[in-house]
Amino acid sequence: MIESILRFSIERRWLVLSFILVLLGGGVWSYQHLPIDAVPDITNVQVQVNTEAPGYSPLESEQRITYPVETALAGLPNLAYTRSISRYGLSQVTVVFEEGTDIYFARNLINERLGAIKSTLPTGLEPEMGPIATGLGEIFMYTLEALPGATQADGKAYDATALREIQDWIIKPQLALVPGVIEINTIGGYTKQYHVTPSPQLMLTYGVTLGDISEALRDNNSNRGAGYIERNGQQLLVRSPGQLQSLADIENVVISTIDDAPVTIADVAEVAIGKELRTGAATRDGRETVLGTAMMLVGENSREVSRAVAAKLESVRDSLPEGVKVDTVYDRTTLVDKAIGTVQKNLIEGALLVVIVLFLLLGNFRAALITAAVIPLAMLATVSGMVQTGVSANLMSLGALDFGLIVDGAVIIVENAIRRLAEAQGRNGKNGKLALKERLEVVFQATNEVIRPSLFGVIIITVVYIPLFSLTGVEGKMFHPMAATVVMALLAALVLSLTLVPAAVAAFMSGRVREQESPLIVASKSLYKPLLILAMKLRWLVLSVALALVLLSGWLATTLGSEFIPNLNEGDIALHAMRIPGTGLEQAVAMQTLLEQRIKEFPQVEKVFAKIGTPEVATDPMPPNVADNFVMLKPRSQWPNPDQTQDEFVRELEAAVKLLPGNNYEFTQPIQMRFNELISGVRTDLGIKVFGDDLEQLLESAEAILKVVETIDGAADGKVEQVTGLPMLSIRPERMTLARYGLSVSALQDTVAAAIGGEPAGLIFEGDRRFELVVRLPETLRRDVASLGDLPIPLPNGGYVPLSEVAIIELAPAPNQISRENGKRRVVVTANVRGRDLGSFIADVKARINQDIELPPGYWLDYGGTFKQLESASQRLSIVVPITLAIILGLLIMAFNSIKDAGIIFTGVPLALTGGVIALWLRDMPLSISAGVGFIALSGVAVLNGLVMLAFIRQLWHERGDLYLSIIDGAMIRLRPVLMTALVASLGFVPMALNTGTGAEVQRPLATVVIGGIVSSTLLTLFVLPILYRMAHGREAKRG
Amino acid sequence: MNVFRVLVFLCAGLATWVCHASSGDIRLDKQLKDVVQAAPPAIKGPNGGVMLEDGETRLELAIFERGVPPEYRAWIHYQGEAITPSSQQKPVLEVRLTRLGGVVDSFTFTYKEEAYKSDASEGNASETEANNGGYWLGDGVVGEPHSFYVEVSLKIAGNTHHWAWESYEGRVAIKADIAEQAGITTTLASPGRIQRTLTAYGNLVSGSENLSHIRARFPGQITRVNVNVGDRVKRGQILAQVESSESLKRYSIFAPIDGIVTQRHANTGELALEQPLFSITNLTKVWAELKIFPQQRAAVKTGQVVRVAAAGAEQTSTIEQIIPTDSGPYLLARAPLTNVDGGSSSPKVSSNTSPWYPGQLVEAQIVVEEVDVPLVVDKRALQSFRDWTVVFIQIGENYEIRPLELGRSDKTHIEVLSGLNAGDRYVVENSYLIKADIEKSGASHDH
Repeated sequence: MIESILRFSIERRWLVLSFILVLLGGGVWSYQHLPIDAVPDITNVQVQVNTEAPGYSPLESEQRITYPVETALAGLPNLAYTRSISRYGLSQVTVVFEEGTDIYFARNLINERLGAIKSTLPTGLEPEMGPIATGLGEIFMYTLEALPGATQADGKAYDATALREIQDWIIKPQLALVPGVIEINTIGGYTKQYHVTPSPQLMLTYGVTLGDISEALRDNNSNRGAGYIERNGQQLLVRSPGQLQSLADIENVVISTIDDAPVTIADVAEVAIGKELRTGAATRDGRETVLGTAMMLVGENSREVSRAVAAKLESVRDSLPEGVKVDTVYDRTTLVDKAIGTVQKNLIEGALLVVIVLFLLLGNFRAALITAAVIPLAMLATVSGMVQTGVSANLMSLGALDFGLIVDGAVIIVENAIRRLAEAQGRNGKNGKLALKERLEVVFQATNEVIRPSLFGVIIITVVYIPLFSLTGVEGKMFHPMAATVVMALLAALVLSLTLVPAAVAAFMSGRVREQESPLIVASKSLYKPLLILAMKLRWLVLSVALALVLLSGWLATTLGSEFIPNLNEGDIALHAMRIPGTGLEQAVAMQTLLEQRIKEFPQVEKVFAKIGTPEVATDPMPPNVADNFVMLKPRSQWPNPDQTQDEFVRELEAAVKLLPGNNYEFTQPIQMRFNELISGVRTDLGIKVFGDDLEQLLESAEAILKVVETIDGAADGKVEQVTGLPMLSIRPERMTLARYGLSVSALQDTVAAAIGGEPAGLIFEGDRRFELVVRLPETLRRDVASLGDLPIPLPNGGYVPLSEVAIIELAPAPNQISRENGKRRVVVTANVRGRDLGSFIADVKARINQDIELPPGYWLDYGGTFKQLESASQRLSIVVPITLAIILGLLIMAFNSIKDAGIIFTGVPLALTGGVIALWLRDMPLSISAGVGFIALSGVAVLNGLVMLAFIRQLWHERGDLYLSIIDGAMIRLRPVLMTALVASLGFVPMALNTGTGAEVQRPLATVVIGGIVSSTLLTLFVLPILYRMAHGREAKRG
Repeated sequence: MNVFRVLVFLCAGLATWVCHASSGDIRLDKQLKDVVQAAPPAIKGPNGGVMLEDGETRLELAIFERGVPPEYRAWIHYQGEAITPSSQQKPVLEVRLTRLGGVVDSFTFTYKEEAYKSDASEGNASETEANNGGYWLGDGVVGEPHSFYVEVSLKIAGNTHHWAWESYEGRVAIKADIAEQAGITTTLASPGRIQRTLTAYGNLVSGSENLSHIRARFPGQITRVNVNVGDRVKRGQILAQVESSESLKRYSIFAPIDGIVTQRHANTGELALEQPLFSITNLTKVWAELKIFPQQRAAVKTGQVVRVAAAGAEQTSTIEQIIPTDSGPYLLARAPLTNVDGGSSSPKVSSNTSPWYPGQLVEAQIVVEEVDVPLVVDKRALQSFRDWTVVFIQIGENYEIRPLELGRSDKTHIEVLSGLNAGDRYVVENSYLIKADIEKSGASHDH
């Protein structure tokens, strides 16, 4: 079949060549539709169900919201698991579905279930699904600030409330319309509210209650339509406008009358624009600000969407009031451009190097060009493939592409064709020109001679990528695109070298082809021959050196240390600043201000901003004591020391901020932080989850377990999940006393809730803006905890009783948050492992816990943590890798019809790996999956080289019958292609290995391994393989 | 700072901890008199204390605080033998604790037989075994916080052994410039006055002595009326004249008190019968009747100063009477208020000079207690720390908790009964930052 394809390609060469145009067209179209991002999206298929429950304690929001929601969602099709947190005023249930579930389908199912339980939830609470976005969703952030001296229409300076109003009613509605934006999330500032703050004394004087006030407001704030009247043929609409419009309107609302004298709101209360009880705040450069985040719809092209948002924001600027400034603080485009820039630079430089090498070694410009043409064509085909399979272009997916590897097949074919053409022309005499038919025949022969080994080689390289597809979870999501892209590129190259390359050679190599061996090749040949002969003599020495090298690198590999997933450097820093639980929002803002002022002192920092607590849409429900800081760095050229690495800077920063009192930090990066928040789960090596009902008992058991774990060798950073420590002021009604005063518990609670939390009493409309009208006590009274007991509670028959008379006021810590998983409460004990292997540690932990910990009935344990992933990954790999090796061996046997030869080629793999390990060790890099991918590529190259070499030697041996001479001659003839493939493959990776740009850290280990490995694998192919072949077939040859 | 992980006796139920006791040795160089160890010795003894070893001498030192105020207990072994007073070797054990600020607590030890056998039944078998029935007891309470530099010296068999280590809790260092930037301010603890007040609401009433309903002595015809509603009258002023129907003699009706005429039911020519002709109210003195609810009853007494406020005016008075009432479950505390000009002609209009009028609702702060106390702290300085209420004292750049026993308090200050000395410099503003900083470093304290 291969032969017929080759014949067809050579015969119908122009037709085949014209397919280039099709390929070009398809590729260019695909390139325009290729989703581009910085990193692969590793978020699982998840839906967040958020329910805001103002005033609900963690316990209540769990009981009344989280539990019914979780129960309703249990048993959904494709459901992987649910987890939830219940915090003060918020219940969040995260529903995770099996990979591959359609997110819209999942949301539909959830919506349906939520609809069914609406009646069982407390009235007024509405579960809402989070935006359809992933960890890559937060693509654009901006802050608002007022220039100094700018004033509002009424002459007052812009405050946080005014800025928030601008964000909510001018900016957000415009940005929300940008295609691809699913949500504009706001944090910071205060939502404008109209506050009616009555004085308790005046209320007593006039005999009105908080309830009376809010009722009066509700009853006096509506427009009513009254149908229409027809008069003389004209239709008149009738309406009675009664909406409150202004502060004065509110003040004039009549609450009651005393002896015909009306008591108005103004008599008992102050009316003013007030601040909401907010759940989150935002700061920038040490000042409070309002922060908007544009979230991208799942599957959109982040660069395009963030560009569109930026463009829209430009036009929004014109509609802002004088003196208000919107400033972009985070734009994903920057990162994507940088990352793609890195990849592009690597690819282009790599391609150029490959072309130069081809030209130098082939010594024929046309031939070099034909080979090089495979690069862009394979690339375009790959892009088409990526679009078709939905793989996005990013650091990972493009990171392992090496044009050297891609052109390997083509190099071998072209090289052989040139050699044969030159030979043929030489035979033809001085003129040397070949007739067309003759030329085509030569090309066919030349191609056919090497097509099999090179096809097998490419197929084998493709096969070695298969284990990557067996990775699941986060690792799978990172590396599947990489494997897919490489496989697509290799397959494209394979097809091209089968069709296009022979066609092009046939069509264009019409002129005189001289066997112009470049000086380089001549020199290496003259060096190679004596060395090979020497090596054949000292074969035992060579073999034992090789074996020693393999053993040495095996030992080296164990000392390298390992990291599972490479850390993409995003170029910006994110840090969690954590304060103790129970820290108030205003206190947190004050601490944050100090922190930001300190960070801003660094000349490397361009801007720093933070989100504290929970934003409007609770995509990331943090308590007020946690702040997400983003530190945006200036371009390196503006640093005082441009050579400083980011790691060094982070250490410097950490040392500086550590001095600030009351903060703990966790350094990460913006996208990484978001991924961590969404994937959430346990991020330590070991997580022991205790499930059960009673929080106290759970905590007690968890602490007992922690004590056991801490005594086990190798345990580090042991921690019990923080679930308590939220200070709570409880106002417990005393039922007997209440009854004596004729009060009910709910009457008391209503008063307390309205007095402190405030009671919504309707909406005030200003155009299409709407603001809440709230009744609550003046701020000075609300904050005075000491005299809370003096708060007068109105009695039904007039008069009052002080709060302390009918309730016990006490300050006590309460649960801070309640976490649940799969519908059950849980507390997690986490620990890391240091200086010990994970497996035996886990076994120890399990044994000790079984022995020492006794859980009450109804409580159980579950072990989780990254050790599970490691375990399952290594289990899968331990099956898949041998299978892959078997497949390769099978292919080799097919190619040679000889187990012996296949075995010889196979020995190339360990020696190839040797170079990779040594290269890693020299560059002080740990083993990682990236490096692993390099090793995979390397095994392929090693096999390919061996294949080409042995196939030729075998052929010569069969032709001539003298084993020794055949080996020497064969090796000499194959020196050029072997050197070429080695050089192009390693040079193609050189830019990657040296690059320090954004995202280079993923590619660097891979490139390093390949370069190092190719050096050793080439040496192997050139020296060890011939030796082995001679030893394996020596007896045969003698016999023969 | 896992200081007390090592020092403090663990709860008896945790047998696992005791199992972990090992015989590792902390050999400290005898040549060095003061051997400073940054961290306390890590090895736990069978009684949960730290194991100190030197040659053949073994000393276990623990702070015991289960059921008793924290005290030092020690177990001494020499050449493998438990040392009791009956042993040949007479040990002299001394523990010196140097606290922040240079205060030194010294402990000497005497032997005590095991007194709490019943605890053995709680299930910690190994503990009772190890106790050998007795221990050396330090003289005195180890005061909180357990944050100090520990020096131990043990003289036995002619040799003196020294050990020393740092054992801090609830302490943190903050650089002066950062503390200033963060707005941490301090002040000296000093004597002060506590004025404890209580809020009550009530209505103003005119005292019955200031209200007069005037009737005619004898029925008769009113011949003249001199005053009208709103007129201000003096005591003895003639209000009206009536011609008695019996004697047909005219007689005058006088104003019995100074005041304002608030009602008039008399016109010339009318008959004065049983009905009151005039009502005169004197607003010079009105009474605030404050509702004292059962919870507040114990604190309120006659003679207490009360600050009454309404509509922006405030007046200080004293509680003169406390009377029961049948209208509710409260008492009425009565305090007189004076209107300077005796009440304006129009009580409805409140002016600054005479703000008080009957029926008005007032808010009152009753000073239920006013005492001078030897030591007060600003209430802003208080923070909760574990199960204590603490302030943070400052010495140089170091801050440390001081658990306080607190007494009476008013709106701004609170009395300190113990835990702090006059003259200590403590953090007032932003004390939360210190608490946050200490707790974030995960200070632990085994209980």
